[in-house]
Amino acid sequence: MKQRLTKMLSVFLMVSLMAGILAACSGGSGDDESTKAAAPKTESGKPDISKKVELNWYLVGDADKDSPQVIEKWNQMLAKDLNTTVKLNFMTWNDWQTKYNLLFASGEKIDMVFASSWADFFKLSKQGAFLDLKDLLPTYAPETWKTVPEQDWKDVTFQGKILAVPSTYPEYTPDGIVYRDDWRQELNLPEIKDLDTMEQYYEGVKKGKKITPINGKAWNEVNTLFHYYYDFKNIGGDSGVIVAKSYDTPRDVVAYPFTDEFVTFVKRMKTWADKGFWTSSTLAAQQEPGDFIKAGTGAAYWRNAPGAAGFITDMKKNNPNIKLTYFPFTHFHNYVVPNLGINNGMAIPKSAANPERSLMVLEKLRNDPEYYNLMTYGIKGRNYDFTKDGSIVSPAPGQDPAKVKGYGIASWGWRNIKNEHPAKDRWEGEDKLIEEFKAISKPDIFAPIMMDYQPVKSQLAAVNQVFQQYGQPLMMGLVPDVDAAIETYRSKLKTAGVDAVLDYVTKQVAAYADEKGLK
Amino acid sequence: MSGFIAELRKNKILFLMIAPVLFFFVVFSYFPMVGVYYAFTNYNFEGGLFGSPFVGMQNFKFLYESGALFSLTKNTVLYNLAFIFIGNFLQLICAIFLSELAGKWFKKTAQSIMFLPFFISFVLVGAFVFNLFNTETGVINALLKQFGMHTYDFYMNTEPWKYIIVFFNVWKGLGYGTVIYLAAIMSISDEYHEAAKIDGANIFHRIRYITIPMLVPTFILLILLSLGGILKGQFDLFYQIIGSNGMLFETTDIIDTYVYRSLAVNFDIGMGTAAGLYQSFFGFVLVMSVNWIIKKTREDYALF
Amino acid sequence: MKIRTDRSTLLFNIVGYVVISILSLVCLLPFWLIISGSFSSEAEIVRDGFKIFPSEFTFSAYQSVFSNPQQIFKAYLVSISLTAMGTLLGLFFISMAGYVLSRKDFKYRNSLSFFIYFTTLFSGGLIPWYILVVKYLDWKDSYLALLVPMMISAWNIILMKNFMKSIPESIVESAKIDGAGEFTIYSRLILPLSTPGLATIGLFLGLAYWNDWFSANIFITTEAKYPLQFLLYKILASAAVLKTSVAANLSADFKPPTESLKMAVAIVVTGPIIFLYPFMQRYFVKGLTIGAVKG
Repeated sequence: MKQRLTKMLSVFLMVSLMAGILAACSGGSGDDESTKAAAPKTESGKPDISKKVELNWYLVGDADKDSPQVIEKWNQMLAKDLNTTVKLNFMTWNDWQTKYNLLFASGEKIDMVFASSWADFFKLSKQGAFLDLKDLLPTYAPETWKTVPEQDWKDVTFQGKILAVPSTYPEYTPDGIVYRDDWRQELNLPEIKDLDTMEQYYEGVKKGKKITPINGKAWNEVNTLFHYYYDFKNIGGDSGVIVAKSYDTPRDVVAYPFTDEFVTFVKRMKTWADKGFWTSSTLAAQQEPGDFIKAGTGAAYWRNAPGAAGFITDMKKNNPNIKLTYFPFTHFHNYVVPNLGINNGMAIPKSAANPERSLMVLEKLRNDPEYYNLMTYGIKGRNYDFTKDGSIVSPAPGQDPAKVKGYGIASWGWRNIKNEHPAKDRWEGEDKLIEEFKAISKPDIFAPIMMDYQPVKSQLAAVNQVFQQYGQPLMMGLVPDVDAAIETYRSKLKTAGVDAVLDYVTKQVAAYADEKGLK
Repeated sequence: MSGFIAELRKNKILFLMIAPVLFFFVVFSYFPMVGVYYAFTNYNFEGGLFGSPFVGMQNFKFLYESGALFSLTKNTVLYNLAFIFIGNFLQLICAIFLSELAGKWFKKTAQSIMFLPFFISFVLVGAFVFNLFNTETGVINALLKQFGMHTYDFYMNTEPWKYIIVFFNVWKGLGYGTVIYLAAIMSISDEYHEAAKIDGANIFHRIRYITIPMLVPTFILLILLSLGGILKGQFDLFYQIIGSNGMLFETTDIIDTYVYRSLAVNFDIGMGTAAGLYQSFFGFVLVMSVNWIIKKTREDYALF
Repeated sequence: MKIRTDRSTLLFNIVGYVVISILSLVCLLPFWLIISGSFSSEAEIVRDGFKIFPSEFTFSAYQSVFSNPQQIFKAYLVSISLTAMGTLLGLFFISMAGYVLSRKDFKYRNSLSFFIYFTTLFSGGLIPWYILVVKYLDWKDSYLALLVPMMISAWNIILMKNFMKSIPESIVESAKIDGAGEFTIYSRLILPLSTPGLATIGLFLGLAYWNDWFSANIFITTEAKYPLQFLLYKILASAAVLKTSVAANLSADFKPPTESLKMAVAIVVTGPIIFLYPFMQRYFVKGLTIGAVKG
């Protein structure tokens, strides 16, 4: 036994020794090499590009089948214009979040990476993953620097540092439901305008068509409805059960399970569940309600507005006998917020070897239509072509659609409205919808609040836990006794530390509101 | 130390033969083990592993503060014990049958077929489970209806899921585990059986007095090997079958799924590592104790 | 006496056939449903779930899997080469280590076993592992990252050691007396006697290599280097992920992978292995030791 112990100890000794070596190595190659020293400029005031460099870029998502050709052409152009080539890496969608985090943790030299509010941009910023671009932008990306709206720059500024180049593509992605207009008319049901007509529609198709209206996974349909119906706003991304009570009172932050609205809502949802608007196994279902619409056994599907347009277009093409329409939840309170600029963008990690040249490439990509069209739409005459009015047809007319497809990669990071082209075969309702949104648009005041929950992370974890175990079944009306379930849910939330989280978020919101001069 | 050098000299070749493997583990396992330090820091990219602020046990808080740790540990251990014992028992039985049955063709086919579940990903297993048990269109409820019986709402009851999960785990590993026992049976010398046959032992006697005792070391070894991971759950199995269906968590929540959900909204390297460390430590203590006991009683069977 | 033996053998065979048949059926049925599902139309699966026979027979799922056949064949090639090489190399190192640890006269066998087993208990997690492979070994986008880390596992070594323990010590001793070196004993005597063990570990290694998609997922960035499993997982994941958080933030609509596609993918990956498995079974032959000991 004693002998074994000594041996075990020596093993550990060895390990810790190696740990020391590893630490020494990684310590040496840390972040001390300052990238501040901007590349020397030539006399004419133009950046010096005499040295040939290869940049290392990462995009989320998959490459297109035609990507090798497109990238080759792109690199030819870059070599000529900027004496640069780019190795463009694709992260692929499998576990992309894990991979995305690993890229930063590994210290790999990356010159540009896709960044987004939905890819933890704010959290990574707070943890110091990105390079400050403030001093580089005016020199190396002057046009971008001038044309990106002030507000968008502000959204990516953290402690005085500009940490990303947001895309310039105002878009609206409010939630809503796609539903079957043909069934509604056939069964003489009212158009969906509010919660009551929605209930009438569900009830009508349930009886008239003998199907489950929201078949499959109905959680999104109910959860987004709840938030929009009461105008409960998420703060700084997905803030779970902590919400601002309405757009007009940003400082009024609550944990919604403790509100009367919540009680009213879950009681109503209980009646909906009992009427069979969705199945008792809905929380376990994996299939999208949209798949059931296609199969003729579903009647409603949650989509954001552009997603709805895509779904309806697709349905018209493949199932022309099914007629769909869209009810955006914005109709409850008659306003909509545009997405943040940094909803998609590009950023430079601290590890970058050539941030200056990388910015110059991005500048080209965003502003030069030749670059933009190539990297966004693919090869002209093959993947796409323009009509006379500037709409895009993909693949290009004359190509065999079985062999050549429209080009598609996650090009969202450099999107620029002035270079965008609308698709020719889009749903006609979409333009109307966008006009409608533009008229009722209000600036997004909640999303740019940076929260990393560091001080309350264990409480947040516990609250999220309780939310899934008790909150979701309750909101789906899948509990036998609603009052008792609310009681349990609330007390579990308390134990989990919901108050601490609420406190933290309230303070963050107040500080933000002070800074921005909100009510 | 001098003993070590003498030994090294004596068994030079043996040491050389095992050296590549040891080197491999030093590089690929012990080297990255420094990462357990993440569990004690508040990670940021500026500081990296050793430059981030040290926070002590703070990252472990989310495990025990909400009071769920005990029931989670209990669930995980009980599930794993069921998996280990029921699984090994069935694999053992299959291996014995497969080695003794007469029909060659039958045996080979059966063995191949039993391997099939191993290839079915848990995503598809999850889809099967849903198709079998859901209330509206599920196969089981459809059958119940056909026979004029009451349907049973599986997704509103927590009780059946324990058995469903254990069943699918055992089902999935059956062929894989059987191979180990089969190989162990194959390495038993035929002499024993021949001798027993001459003595007039029937097939049950031979299994009882020859095959099973010869398989005990393998059985114990496999159990011991599994014990180290007793707090590590089969995340995919639980996640694909139960998913985010909160109503069933009471009986089906294990540490891995709990941690996954906890960190789904706000991922944190420190907290993730902390949970893993707890699982490892628990398994480590358990294996060391069990191995120690076995070593006291039957030295041959011990792992190390 | 004779009659009693026969009767018990008969009983054993009846029970055995029944038990094994039932278990086989339980294992076969879901697989059959997958095959059937992979030939079904999407609407049919959504509407009726899994069926024993598809009512409309279609190849469309396979067509989309093989929409880019060169890529699939290339991926097959990558997977087959990796599996073959990894299994052979792995078997070599594992069996050597297993042999050394099984030698009762090897003084450090227990502490080294512990050294090896310990690695299954504690791990540093994904990040240090990734840093090791990418930064220190510089294996990003290299086949080595797929080949080497999976080659040796503690679990396989310990199993191997266990199999080799049942080889009578007398064999080693008599060989030593004949003047054979350690390596000769291992390669000429022990390996041929360990075929069931080698076959088992080889099978496990091969399966692990064949099924591994995660290493490629994090280490490989060049599409031409994707192994089969990863390529197929990619087909499934690309749209599945987009259904969730990403899609909600984008003005783009993505088509989720169809159920039938999932099943076709499962069949394409599993098929070759299932055909190979029977060939492997011949290594499970009984009683090899007898001749050796007597000889």
